[in-house]
This record gives sequence, C-alpha cells and structure tokens, in this order.
Amino acid sequence: MQYYKTTRGGGRYIGQTRSFSVYSDSITPPIKVEKISTEIIPGELVFNYGPSTGGLTESVRIALTTPGEIIRAVKVDPSYKLRRLKVVGLNLIDAFLQIERINGYHSSSYQAAFIKAAEDALLVEKSRGLDEELILQMELERIRSHLNVLERLCEPAGFGVPFHQIAQMREEVSRLISAIFGHRYFFGIHTLPHSELRIPAGVTEITKGIERRFALLFESLQDSKIFVNRLQGNGKIQKIWLVGPAARAAGLQYDARIDSPSIDYSKYSFEPFIDDGKDAFARFLVRGNEIFSSFAIVNQILSKGKPETADLREIRGTGIGASRVESPQGDLFCYLSVDDGRVKSIEFCAPSVSNIIAFEQSMQGNIFTDFHFNWESFGIWISEAGVEIE
Amino acid sequence: MRNSIWFLKGLRNGKKTEKFPRADPKDPPLWPSRLVGSGTSKCPTNAIEDGKWNAGKCISCRLCMPEYKPTGDQSNYKITGSVPGILSRSFYIYPVDSGTCGACNTELLSILAPQYDASRVNIFFTNTPRHADALLLMGVYTEGMDQVISKAYEAMPDPKLIIALGTCAVSGGIIGKSPHLSKDALIEIAGCPPSPYTILEALVRAKEGKR
Repeated sequence: MQYYKTTRGGGRYIGQTRSFSVYSDSITPPIKVEKISTEIIPGELVFNYGPSTGGLTESVRIALTTPGEIIRAVKVDPSYKLRRLKVVGLNLIDAFLQIERINGYHSSSYQAAFIKAAEDALLVEKSRGLDEELILQMELERIRSHLNVLERLCEPAGFGVPFHQIAQMREEVSRLISAIFGHRYFFGIHTLPHSELRIPAGVTEITKGIERRFALLFESLQDSKIFVNRLQGNGKIQKIWLVGPAARAAGLQYDARIDSPSIDYSKYSFEPFIDDGKDAFARFLVRGNEIFSSFAIVNQILSKGKPETADLREIRGTGIGASRVESPQGDLFCYLSVDDGRVKSIEFCAPSVSNIIAFEQSMQGNIFTDFHFNWESFGIWISEAGVEIE
Repeated sequence: MRNSIWFLKGLRNGKKTEKFPRADPKDPPLWPSRLVGSGTSKCPTNAIEDGKWNAGKCISCRLCMPEYKPTGDQSNYKITGSVPGILSRSFYIYPVDSGTCGACNTELLSILAPQYDASRVNIFFTNTPRHADALLLMGVYTEGMDQVISKAYEAMPDPKLIIALGTCAVSGGIIGKSPHLSKDALIEIAGCPPSPYTILEALVRAKEGKR
C-alpha cells in the first residue's frame, strides 16, 4: 500500500469494513460502534415500513418507533435483499464483473475504487489518460445520481411537473452515457483490451442544454415555499463521521476528490459546495450545486476528445492495495489483496452504510410526514449496504 | 409567484414523449441488445453455447467481442403464454426487488420518464399486491425476500401473472440463482439491466396478447 498506513487512525473517520476501521489516510483494527436503543417504552408502537411496498426503490425494512406522531427511534434493516458475491480466487476481470454490480447505479465508482486499489497493490504506474476517463465516468454518474435524488424529493411533495422534468433530464444523461460508453450503467467497459469509447458529435451542446434547463428548474424549486418548507429543519444532523453530500451539507469540507490521492482531480478547478444548514434542504442544495461543478468537469474532458480506458488484463502480480474515491453519496473505500493476479481478499466501505446511520439518528424527534423527504435526501442504496463479499 | 406556476412550466416544456413502441426507438443502447455472431467465445455466464446466444443469460460483459457484436435491437424479451384478455385495458404492476444491484430498479422506473410515459399505454405501478395484475420480480434469489415474494403473490387477485425482469431474475446472471417464482414467469425481459425500450415493448406486447 502506497498511500494508506496501518498504524493508528489518522485523518477523518470514513467507516467500517469487515476487518478495519477506515480513516482518510489509515486503516486500523475495527472499533466498536455505538448502537441506538430500539427498546419500546410503554405507550409506544413500532410501525414497520417495507421490506416491499410502494415508495421504496429497493427492498428494505424500516422500523419506526413512535408514541403516535413524533419518531423516537428508527432502525433500518438492509439484510432482506442480502446478496453474497463470490469474488475471492477469481482473476481481476471475472472479479470486476461482480464488483461493478455491487451498486449498479454507482458502478463506475466501484470500478474506479477497484482499479485504483489494484494499481496500488501491484505498483502499476498511474496513467493520466485513465484518470481522465474514470473522472468522466464518475462525474456523469454523479450528475445522474444527484438528479435521481432530486427527482425522488419532488415525488412525495406531489410536485409532478418538476418530478417528470428531472426524470427527463436523468434519461437524457443515461442516453449520453450510453452513447459514449455503450452501456447506460458503464458495465463491461473495462473488460476490453482497447477503448470502445465514442464521443458523439455536438456532445457539449447536449450537456450545456441539460445544464441550462436544470438551472431554471433548480431555481424554481428553491423559490417554492411549499417545497422548501418540507425540507428545511427536516433530518438535521452534524457529526464528524458524515460522508459525501451529507457531510458537505453539515458545513464539513469533506470530499475524496480533494483529499484522496487515488484519482488526480488537480487539473480541474472546482471547490466542494458547502452549506451549514445540516438538514434535508442543505443536502438538496449541495446535490443541486454539485451537478453544475460536475458538468463543468465533464465539459472540460469532452472538449478534448477521447480519453483512454483501463485494461485489467495487463495487471498481474501480488500485493496489497487500497483506494478511496468520492462516489455520489460519499467516500467509497476499497481494500484489495491480490495473489498472482487473483483476488485473495477484498473489502469495501460503502457510503450508504454511513448514510443509513446518519438517517437513523437524524430522524429522531421528527414526525411521520418528514420521513420520506429525509430518507430520499440521503440517497441511500441498499444494494451496497446489503451485500457480503465472500 | 412567477416561479411557482408549475402547470405553465410543464406546458412550456412541450411534449417530450416519443412514439415508441409504434415507431423505432430513438436512442437504443448497444449494450444490452440482441447479439449476432458465430462460433465459440468466452462467456462467464454460458450465454453462448454451441454457437447460440441466450439473451436470458447475457450480462453485457463484452467478453465475447469480436466474435459476437451488438445490433441495437431491443427485443430482448420472451412471452411464453397467453396474457388474460381482461388485462388489455389496464395493466397494474407490483414490482419486487428480490436482490438487485439497483440498475433494474432504476430502468424500470425510467419507463415513467416523459420520453417513454408508460401511463399513456395504460401501464401503471401499484403500491400493493392487492391491486396488482402482475408481480414483477427483479434481482437474484435471496433468503430474506423469498417469503416476502410468496406472500405478495398469494395476496394478488386472479387473474395474475409473473414477470421476470433482468438477467438476474431470468437466469441468476453472474451473481447467483433466480428467485424461485421466476420459473413461472409468463414474460421474461432479458438484459443487464434491460433498457426502458425493452421493458416497455415487452409489457405492451404482452398486454395486447401478442407473443
């Protein structure tokens, strides 16, 4: 490992894997995490939401403990759809096909974390072209992911017009990804020995058109008191262990694009958007503003032509590596041990695990009608929280 | 006040719905789509056997290139039986995530986007199996969701049918095995994940009683 130390915890706390506590520049043996008491007090009831019902994109059980209106405790159980991935012993290409399916909606973040951990493990020289390609992937993914969260925030508010208009933009971004990478979810783009990327004609006009329409819509949503009132003061949380947009919405300048050496973002002049509202509205503002900074990076890359892709077939050897990238929902950490080109051990620290704890804590003291807005504002993906890698 | 008139903003945006499936898809993805080619090729899910490509097993990994190539043809689905005629007027779907990566879930929701607008062809999602005509399964088999799926199917009124959406639900894909009720699926929509074009066309054809 070139960047991560295995001594005392250093830097900010990111989260836990099966075997480690992960900090921004070191990994240590796991620490104990304090759990919220879900003991029922007389006069309270537990309202079960899920695991399968309308309003949930994925299967998850959410138990809300309440005396009637105010939520006293929340427990999220992501284990209903627990998948077991068998990756150990596979070569990097075969392992890659499963890794990119841990969270299909954020597959490029998982691809980047895996590729960068493999580079670190096997001391492969960094390629500027590859970093550029991974950044293009991840920023397009971030735009689509943030649009998805904003779309989901409009739905419980009954805002049909912005809901559908954002859905339209999200679909346009998916088609753009498909046109460039050949697949709407980036699957399989690093299994080839050569680049299959295509930059369509007039691509920057497409991105600027989406950005312009989004700017008008984003401004209108901020002007809508009905919408803003549902989010302001809802799900307030500020903890030093927050990651991603939830951290940046709590005044913390945490962003792996700035503080992780795994992928070089130094060529792109951007600063993370920070808000100190700490609530669902602040998380909405952070995501909306990050769409603009991601578009700026995408346009900068696309205007230069076709970047390179990684070829995992070339990566051989033995070693241990680690990486950390900024997925749309926060820090994504990967620990990888490779033995003669095959996976010996692999662990991920997914941002949704941290965001689930943040959601549970931020929901205390809120009321039932706040629930959907707060849940959607964290952009949690159960697929990456309810998964075991064997 | 100027900015809160959403109705006018909606009208100003104009009509964005495409003519698909009556017309060709506007921007079909290459992966997934029907593959053409011949001979043997490396396939991690055995989607290519004896020179034949099986859409229900394909995960769009591209390892079969250059022997096999994508065509852009989105008809990656199979309707294996007769859909009750009573469902032709409106078709209510109850989706259940058995164990997905999240991609099938979002592609399914994409058929509600203005470009596809599934409601114009009387296809709707329902929040409860009690109101559902079809149980739509996504993802691989998981222990935790097995009983949930069975109970949802039992709660549905007759006539009812099962749809398997995505390679994981059809064959297990590269992650595991398919949910146990998938074997009774009347409609199999292949792809990892299937595109909104494939999903919409399969549902419309099934609703119209076509195979």
